[in-house]
Amino acid sequence: MSSERREDFLELVRQRDIVVCAGSGGVGKTTTSAVLGLQAAVEGQRVLVMTIDPARRLANSLGAESLDNEPTQLDLEGFSEVGVRPDGELWAMMLDMKASFDDLVEQRAPDEETRQKILNNRLYEYFSTSLAGTQEYAAAERLYEAHSSGDWDLIVLDTPPTTHALDFLEAPSRLANAVESKAFQWIYEKELFQGESGLGLFSMGSSYVLKTLGKFTGTELLQELSVFLQHFSPMFQGFRDRARQVRDLLTGPECTFVVVTSPDPHTREESTHFYDELGSERVAVGGFIVNRVHPRWVDQSEFDRPVEDIAAAIADLDVDVELDDSERTQLAERLRSNAASFYVLARKDARSVEQLRAELSRDIPVATVPFFSQDIHSLTGLDRVRREIFG
Amino acid sequence: MSLYDRNLILFSGKGGVGKTTIASSYALSCARRGQRTLLMELNVRDKVASYFGSQEIGSEIVTVEDNLHAVNVTPDAAMEEYGMMILRMKLVYRAVFENRVVRTFLQAIPGLNDLLMIGKAWHHATETDADGGPVWDTVVVDAPATGHGIFLLQIPSVIMSSISSGHMYREAEKIFSFLTDPQKTALNLVTLAEDMPVNETKMLRDQARQKLEMPIGCVVANGLYPQTFDQRERDWIDAAHEGNLSVDAGVSGMINAAAFRQQRIDMQQHYMDEIERSFDAPIARVPYYFEDRITFPVIESIAERLADQLDPEGAP
Repeated sequence: MSSERREDFLELVRQRDIVVCAGSGGVGKTTTSAVLGLQAAVEGQRVLVMTIDPARRLANSLGAESLDNEPTQLDLEGFSEVGVRPDGELWAMMLDMKASFDDLVEQRAPDEETRQKILNNRLYEYFSTSLAGTQEYAAAERLYEAHSSGDWDLIVLDTPPTTHALDFLEAPSRLANAVESKAFQWIYEKELFQGESGLGLFSMGSSYVLKTLGKFTGTELLQELSVFLQHFSPMFQGFRDRARQVRDLLTGPECTFVVVTSPDPHTREESTHFYDELGSERVAVGGFIVNRVHPRWVDQSEFDRPVEDIAAAIADLDVDVELDDSERTQLAERLRSNAASFYVLARKDARSVEQLRAELSRDIPVATVPFFSQDIHSLTGLDRVRREIFG
Repeated sequence: MSLYDRNLILFSGKGGVGKTTIASSYALSCARRGQRTLLMELNVRDKVASYFGSQEIGSEIVTVEDNLHAVNVTPDAAMEEYGMMILRMKLVYRAVFENRVVRTFLQAIPGLNDLLMIGKAWHHATETDADGGPVWDTVVVDAPATGHGIFLLQIPSVIMSSISSGHMYREAEKIFSFLTDPQKTALNLVTLAEDMPVNETKMLRDQARQKLEMPIGCVVANGLYPQTFDQRERDWIDAAHEGNLSVDAGVSGMINAAAFRQQRIDMQQHYMDEIERSFDAPIARVPYYFEDRITFPVIESIAERLADQLDPEGAP
């Protein structure tokens, strides 16, 4: 990667307050988030990495037993072994979605009674953990809090893996839109449900639509949902306000997104799809990081090289394992064929990265991180990735 | 009981471990045994078509191979099918479900989309034809990755704990008892022999037992590098790699590539040992394919390996 591209990534962690790592599942978002945070800490910033992944070995390698819903300061002393002396501080936390959403209810419920009714509702647990957007909403809320606290020079957010990059960004507004929609109001308006039968919705008799709907979902579900929404509705205004603030923050100059991907063509297509979505929402994309790119160990021309020639070259080497002629020939053949196997992957990855660059606007820096022979869960590993991205 | 005797076979695991490839190959192995098989993707960007060289797979079931059919379920299509089953009449469905207010309302019901998708999988797994015989011998589901996968499979029990009567309750109860029946259903865990995927797979296994009460069918360890060097060659490669010898760039590159392969094999072996220690389900090993992209011959080859390992007796 050219030095000016490295400069772009340095600027990104130096100048922004928030970096959001987005991408499909399994592309190394959590590790990348840790590495971006590490770079900023090396340069003297006070950094918080917020992750959703219980990446315990990663936490362990950073000297933490495990991560929880409160920031933990990581001990960076170990980096002196790899010749790095961070001047700043690196903190990390794992977002516990359920706990975050409980906190939200705690803060926003108008009184104790409503609070208890919500927390004890049978639909609440599911609602709080899995209604489209609630997890992302809780993450956005924690991000907003952390940013407002003014405690951090940089916050790096590792987002939940989603098919749509914008689930995260859209979640707050979608949730607010859903709860203020006519349909919801219609359901949680008390009088609609409290006819003489106890469920006015269905005793009104006039609505064929409602009857049919009741047949579909069962009246009990509708009733349970209406009770839940009645209790939840006083909090909607707060949700909506906060959703707007989070959106302003994420689309503002303080924040940038880094799209993390792998060279796999399908994953790459998903990543450029994210990029398009982010662009149409006017969200700044500060760069792409392509993880697990197979290195090109040999040139293609080597595969035409006669086995005898390779065998002769290895015979000249001073290696402590004695091989006879036929063993050397077999080894030469296998070395060549193994290199050819990896060449296929290196060529495929190089083409994919080239394709990615062609599809992105020219001012978007793309960093590639090679596929390492080991998992990245040691300080040395993290530092290797850091040097690949930042030089 | 062999996996091949069960009706509903689901695959989940960490993102990026190759769930779709394994689910597609498994489905092909069922079809090759003569089982009438339906392969389901759940509302994703379709990958299956590229494996079978078929047209893009949408919400209509299409044939991709002998005995093998595929569909990419969308919540909208599933809702229409389900609504039609209950209401029987298209006009009524339109009047009710295509009402804008009703639609917004339905979209806001927590978990409804998930219920519709898992409901459709269950429906096909139990569907019978005019003579009362099963329409499908096997339904294979490429389920979402760990987190979303758990939510999806949990939804029937959530509904059962939230309400206690009504049509939806009865549906949820039927789905739940099918999903938790080890004679009928299996949740298979796909992983790579690497740290984070193995940890996530253990978590998924624990949740499957505790929260979902679902039977685990097998663990598929995907992407294993085949061993190509014998012991003496490995010793030589290690020594040469560490020796930093002066040799031409070509041979030095070949030694680096060989050392890389060896290091990954050693790491994978370490995690295979951990997988064997941690899981009591049958383990199937799938090699890494050094290919430009995954095409039908790769799927065929994986299908054969899965069949050999998961049912060595081999029916048909």
